[in-house]
Amino acid sequence: MHPFSISVADDPGRAVAAHAQDDHLSYIAGGTDLLGLMKDGAAFPAHLLDINDLPGLAGVDATPDGGLRIGALARMSDVAANAEVRERFPVIAEGLLFAASGQLRNMASMGGNIMQRTRCSYFRDGDDPACNKRRPGSGCSALDGLNRNHAIFGWSDACVATHPSDVAVALAALEADVVVLGRAGERSIPIADFHRLPGGTPERDTVLGRGELIVAVEVRAQAEGRASHYLKVRDRQSYEFALVSVAAAVETEGRRLRSVRLAMGGVAHKPWRLTAAETALRGADLDDIGALEAAIATSFTDARPLAHNAFKADLSRRAVLRALQTAGARA
Amino acid sequence: MNAVGQPMPRTDGRLKVTGAARYSADVPLDGMAHAAIVHSTIANGRTVSIDTTSAEEAPGVVAVFTHHNMPRMNPTPEPWSHLHPHGQSYLPLLADAVHYAGQPIALVIAETLDQATYAGTLIKVEYEADQPVVFNRETAKEAVDPPPFLWPVASSVGDADEGIATAAVTIDQTYTTSDRHHNQMEPHVSTAVWDADETLTLYETTQHIFGARELVSIVLGIPPEKITIVSHFLGGGFGGKAYVWPHTLLAALAAKVVNRPVRLQLTRAQMYSMVGHQAATIQQVVLGAGEDGTLAGIRHDSISPTPVFDDYIEYAALAARSLWAAGTGIATNHKVVHVNRNTPTAMRSPHEALGHFALESAMDELAYATGVDPVALRLLNDTEIDPYSGRPFSTRAMRECLTKGAERFGWDERTPEPRSMRDGRYLIGQGMASAIYTHWRWPAKARVTVHQDGSALVETGTHELGTGTYTVMQQVAADALGVAPEKVTVRLGDTRLPASHPSIGSATMANAGASVMLAAKAARDRAIELALAGRDAPFAGAEPDDVLVADGRLVLARKSLEITYAELLARNGLSTVVGDGDYDPVEEALGPKAVFSFSAVFAEVRVDPDLGLVRLNRFVGAYDAGRIINPRTARSQAIGGIIWGVGQALLEQSETDPETARFANRNYSGYLVPTNADIPELDVLFAGGFDEEASPLGAKGLGELTAVSVAPAIANAVHHATGKRVRDLPITVEKIL
Ligand SMILES: Cc1cc2nc3c(=O)[nH]c(=O)nc-3n(C[C@H](O)[C@H](O)[C@H](O)COP(=O)(O)OP(=O)(O)OC[C@H]3O[C@@H](n4cnc5c(N)ncnc54)[C@H](O)[C@@H]3O)c2cc1C
Ligand code: SF4
Repeated sequence: MHPFSISVADDPGRAVAAHAQDDHLSYIAGGTDLLGLMKDGAAFPAHLLDINDLPGLAGVDATPDGGLRIGALARMSDVAANAEVRERFPVIAEGLLFAASGQLRNMASMGGNIMQRTRCSYFRDGDDPACNKRRPGSGCSALDGLNRNHAIFGWSDACVATHPSDVAVALAALEADVVVLGRAGERSIPIADFHRLPGGTPERDTVLGRGELIVAVEVRAQAEGRASHYLKVRDRQSYEFALVSVAAAVETEGRRLRSVRLAMGGVAHKPWRLTAAETALRGADLDDIGALEAAIATSFTDARPLAHNAFKADLSRRAVLRALQTAGARA
Repeated sequence: MNAVGQPMPRTDGRLKVTGAARYSADVPLDGMAHAAIVHSTIANGRTVSIDTTSAEEAPGVVAVFTHHNMPRMNPTPEPWSHLHPHGQSYLPLLADAVHYAGQPIALVIAETLDQATYAGTLIKVEYEADQPVVFNRETAKEAVDPPPFLWPVASSVGDADEGIATAAVTIDQTYTTSDRHHNQMEPHVSTAVWDADETLTLYETTQHIFGARELVSIVLGIPPEKITIVSHFLGGGFGGKAYVWPHTLLAALAAKVVNRPVRLQLTRAQMYSMVGHQAATIQQVVLGAGEDGTLAGIRHDSISPTPVFDDYIEYAALAARSLWAAGTGIATNHKVVHVNRNTPTAMRSPHEALGHFALESAMDELAYATGVDPVALRLLNDTEIDPYSGRPFSTRAMRECLTKGAERFGWDERTPEPRSMRDGRYLIGQGMASAIYTHWRWPAKARVTVHQDGSALVETGTHELGTGTYTVMQQVAADALGVAPEKVTVRLGDTRLPASHPSIGSATMANAGASVMLAAKAARDRAIELALAGRDAPFAGAEPDDVLVADGRLVLARKSLEITYAELLARNGLSTVVGDGDYDPVEEALGPKAVFSFSAVFAEVRVDPDLGLVRLNRFVGAYDAGRIINPRTARSQAIGGIIWGVGQALLEQSETDPETARFANRNYSGYLVPTNADIPELDVLFAGGFDEEASPLGAKGLGELTAVSVAPAIANAVHHATGKRVRDLPITVEKIL
């Protein structure tokens, strides 16, 4: 690892100011992703600003309109164990619990989680292969290389990576906001707009800029929250990133779907909303499998699998159906 | 009470869980420097220039080596031998050539590991790169016949093709296994210390201290008596630490030049290219059988990759030579493809675990083709004569493994039709497979010393790989001496101790164990002599055979006389009695009988047919490993082996990037091994018993046997569950959907 210095931030405003001034400064929270990236030569911050002591960012609190504000420094395990979260938004608790390992969840923060970078093996390869995310302009090794774990939606020739966060997928289904503190104060970014598609600049994962700090994630109160579920499909039963995952949240009237929210992980450079399917599913009967399947399929007409992940489109449709049924059973 | 046969807990368990056990990287040394290897990013070509200027100026750097200034080494010896085994013949840092990705091209020595690693990143390398060759079905067409390595490359008994051509039923299928890496928790590490008198001590992660000493001696040109190799505990070996890999030699040479101890530990990623792995195989199995399932002919051919400079062979077809009888004939062959990679090596369970996947999958296909139950099919083709050598098996409890295993599993309740068993939304599948495992007989020496206080010391140059060697040797010596196991201390893993064989091939219990038994008996006999004819001899006039030993005493039951070891030694003014054990068996192949271990294993899987997910529900393994010395450590071996096999079946694959020929997923995050959540309750039972041909202890090899045939049992269960025959490991989602 390269040499670096580290200091501890005590005030959010000053942290943001320091971040704005120094292109080589990086925040560090749990460090569970950043240190790995530094060891793999995929991040080279000269200075780390430890934000763990910043006051007021670790809570899970009710908002005036009945939603939840989850602090950026709240640990994954604490959020997953929070009673409000478990009862009102099981999709969040599950998205967290199915992620990483117990030890990692105790260290890892919510802000760090949605900021974590792709697990594309080329991106993490210390021997520096062609990777536009690692070294802009060097090419994309995965495009014609090993791409089983890569995207089927929204990729570009410059990058076919997926975003690895589980809880971000749950948050996408719940249309959460990422609350960001900048030099001009706080702003809220809908999570759908927070992560980017790769386009020609895959080195940028999110819209977050210099001099900005995530302070919280806000989830509105919503009927769909309770009847929600996070399904993670992976080769190994535990401790693995998703092959594909589905966050489903529904509101029903009897067995009929009144409203559906669906987002997927493991299929794109960002949590992938299935808006076409959501519309098509409205009014569908949970027991009419054929209708559900047809409605789900509407979101897959633009799937573009790569050489090694053709199965993902099929697997995704099946996973969405399962997640929908499980969420529906909670309604 | 005998200690042998008791489920004694590990004597070193507490040391290990408290962190007090000193592994090779834990040995503290004054003035030690740390080494970091810089490796090639190309897989084929040469380095044109290596600029080390910035690295040399970096903080803490002591020295930087490249092929320009690395001291020369002798070539690795030919022919290859277990007595001085090199992992690969090609030694890096001697020339500018690059033959595989991740080949060492520079070595940095610094005060701390971080400094060495960082300085390594400052080295600028210019390459002239050629397109590398990787292993795949296309390049496999270039396979060639290798020279023999461990066994004959090809075999033919009778006329297999005739048996197949005239058979009522034939199965002809291709099966493939993936590249896999050992991924021991403990990385390879070598610490080299030179003394003023030019003696070299290596604290080494090795399963073969004496072989390491010989190889280092030959390649570095120093007499073996000037070399000491120490390895007290291993954090997993699995064959990967059996031979000497280049980094060990680099550490020794560098320490000499910088004139201080040097520790060289490989990174996790470097463990994919600087030490061995299990090569992928493409295997073809052809079975010819009668309508009742009686085998007439077996043909088994395998192709595996090897580097451009070596001819390593995965003997996948070996199993077919001796597993089942085939009336008309059995033929096997192996070919290799030269590609740009490092040399593969033995990995639990080399050869057999690969070959059994193909052969025992094919047997299941035959069961379905003939309508014969898979267990019945194996009972039908069981044999008491080794078809390959024509010798009778010493012991072969295959029938017992099959019947006892089937009974424990509840095989009777299985409905054979694929997709006929369900549990809610899940498809349930039950499959089984059998296995045969090579038994190795190797010479081994040991020394047992009984002290005046009645305690005993066992000294032998074998190894503790995590398997429980300290404990079982204690048990063996305790019984032979007639003392309580707590009275016995065991010393292992140092070339200053009596020489033993490599701890590979599941050979330690049967061979090193035999030497310990012989040494303890020699010490006991020496004590009996004293009791019969020593000073103030208590049993004067009696015959040695009349004397028994128990509870730290020598007993002449006939006369109700007894004396403790302690008293006997005191009476004779001796501080110790010493016995030497020199176990020198004939090579297995030259013995009158064929010695192998056997198993039958049964798996039940649960398949989510919608999502293509396969999970193991339960597993029963029945093993004939001769006499079981310690049921607890034996069961632990079996559990570990089964889990190892689950990895092979469902998860493990080292993926090669087609462009760069690098192993792409070279870390624990990308290379999946089973977690606890993947493993249900595992049921282990032992069949068979004392095998005098195998060892004076009656024990046969167990550890590796248990990792064999897990994969075909699971694949067969997956077929039973889903109707899909997966002939390519691992069995991942896309192969089920
Ligand atoms: C072996 C392993 C397995 C894993 N498995 C999973 C999994 O299955 N599913 C899953 O979702 N995740 C998984 N993870 C990822 C893990 O969840 C993330 O590493 C973790 O959430 C990151 O949080 P952190 O606090 O440690 O972030 P850090 O490592 O401290 O930071 C990560 C990045 O976020 C930035 N950052 C941190 N906080 C803020 C903030 N408040 N504002 C702006 N930027 C910020 C940092 O500058 C850095 O760039 C796994 C990780 C590992 C190592
Ligand atoms: S997919 Fe993206 S991250 Fe992976 S190699 Fe291509 S550019 Fe790099």
